[in-house]
Amino acid sequence: MATPTEGPRLQLDDLQLAQGNRTVLQHVDGAFRDGAITALVGANGTGKSTLIQGIMGLLKPVAGRVRCRVSKERRAWLPQQLALDLTFPMSVEELVMTGSWPSHGALKGYCAAHYRRGREVMARLGISHLAHRPLGELSGGQRQRALIGRTLMQEAELLLLDEPFANVDAETVDVLTTVLRDMADSGATLIVVLHDTEQLARLADEVVVLSHGHAHWTSTEAVLKGHGPASPVAPMSLGLSGVSAC
Amino acid sequence: MLALLDAWLLAPFDYGFMRRALVAGLALSLAAPPLGVFLMLRGMSLIGDAMAHAILPGVALGFLLAGFSLPAMSLGGVLSGLLVAMLAGGVSQMTGHREDSAMASFFLISLAAGVMLVSLGGSSVDLTHVLFGSVLAVDSTALLLIAAISSVIVVTLATIFRALVVESLDPLFLRGQGVHASLVHGIFLGLLVLNLTAGFQTLGTLMAVGLMMLPATTARFWSQRLEGLIGIGIGIGMAANVCGLLLSYHLSIPSGPAIILFAGVGYLASALFGRHHSLTARLRRRAAPLGAPEPH
Repeated sequence: MATPTEGPRLQLDDLQLAQGNRTVLQHVDGAFRDGAITALVGANGTGKSTLIQGIMGLLKPVAGRVRCRVSKERRAWLPQQLALDLTFPMSVEELVMTGSWPSHGALKGYCAAHYRRGREVMARLGISHLAHRPLGELSGGQRQRALIGRTLMQEAELLLLDEPFANVDAETVDVLTTVLRDMADSGATLIVVLHDTEQLARLADEVVVLSHGHAHWTSTEAVLKGHGPASPVAPMSLGLSGVSAC
Repeated sequence: MLALLDAWLLAPFDYGFMRRALVAGLALSLAAPPLGVFLMLRGMSLIGDAMAHAILPGVALGFLLAGFSLPAMSLGGVLSGLLVAMLAGGVSQMTGHREDSAMASFFLISLAAGVMLVSLGGSSVDLTHVLFGSVLAVDSTALLLIAAISSVIVVTLATIFRALVVESLDPLFLRGQGVHASLVHGIFLGLLVLNLTAGFQTLGTLMAVGLMMLPATTARFWSQRLEGLIGIGIGIGMAANVCGLLLSYHLSIPSGPAIILFAGVGYLASALFGRHHSLTARLRRRAAPLGAPEPH
């Protein structure tokens, strides 16, 4: 993955990605806005997870390239919750602290400043009272807050979230929406896979629509009104659900 | 009373072979239980057993070529263990089958090959020695080798500790950071092979895994924290070694099985009376009322 010194943090140049022998996405060209939240939408199987893997450098492009100016330590990827081993004996505080591990090094212990920052992060997410609770005893929403806490500790400049609001309560949605907006306002680039029109309307500054192996950059309003840039698209055909389209 | 304690607890260690056996056991107890804790937490408890079988052909080959030479047998064990681990990993990646099924196939082949090799060149006494070890026959060379291998394991484990924790909990997070999870996994399996090779002289290839797994599974009944599991596991390993050796000395029973059985008694007692998940813990479990402070 190339690391240019100027321009947007994340740019895709004529990118082609495949899973095995099957091309999933091709001719993907575009830049993600810095300091903004970009929603990634598309029906199941259109390549959302494939694109995330490509951006994170976990999937080698068949053609084209991903140009990313963010160091690996400042890239965070929050996959769907089930990827986490919940039987592992780790508390919320310990999980949040692992966010400082990539930049902190392998051998050094945490200092008081790290723990102070960890406590601030947990307070911001409303999970201070859960600091010592094992991960396996948390609800879906509490666990999601703890995972976002890890990315805050990481001071991520590029954050990719795969359906962060799946199976979480309304209060957690509010807290996470505020935190993610704050992160974007402070300059981070956020890419969020969303399936809900209400959340799309509330969170996304722009939208990348994946369909038929291609990606189209468009505005949130256009998607909600059912007008994509290349072809008219209805929310349902993008895999979006929700009671209102604002 | 003091004389009785001295006769029971200290006098046996007047003998050089007992002192060497004790130091070897303590060194192994420092290295083996932390590996066992990670195996247990990663749902790989039986992989240790498979790897124990995997070192057998190499140990047997070393024995055939150089007789009872610990360095030769250890080198053979390490090479054969690593080869089997790589083959199992390779077959699993190539075929898409799970690694444990490939490992199970290879360890059975290894066991058969190892027993065949020992039988070709030795007697049933030799086979018993390789399979079940002889802790009281540890000489200075063996002791040095065991201490060196244990030190390497402890230092390497400390170095990869955080990566191993993150890989066990959330491998995708580690991969996202550009660290190959398979590299961490490979180093971990390498440490496993090293530890089993160090342990076979004292406990035998089949029982060396006991000092790894029993302290770890016992610690699960006493702590819910990773550091606690490792610390308690090491303590249990050391206690089992001391008690097993003393029992073996006073009752004239084989030392290896005595050590492992002691650890086994600890496991059963903990399953009954341990602090977490034990029978008594379940019986006395009471939920805290709403609004009560979080237990720290």
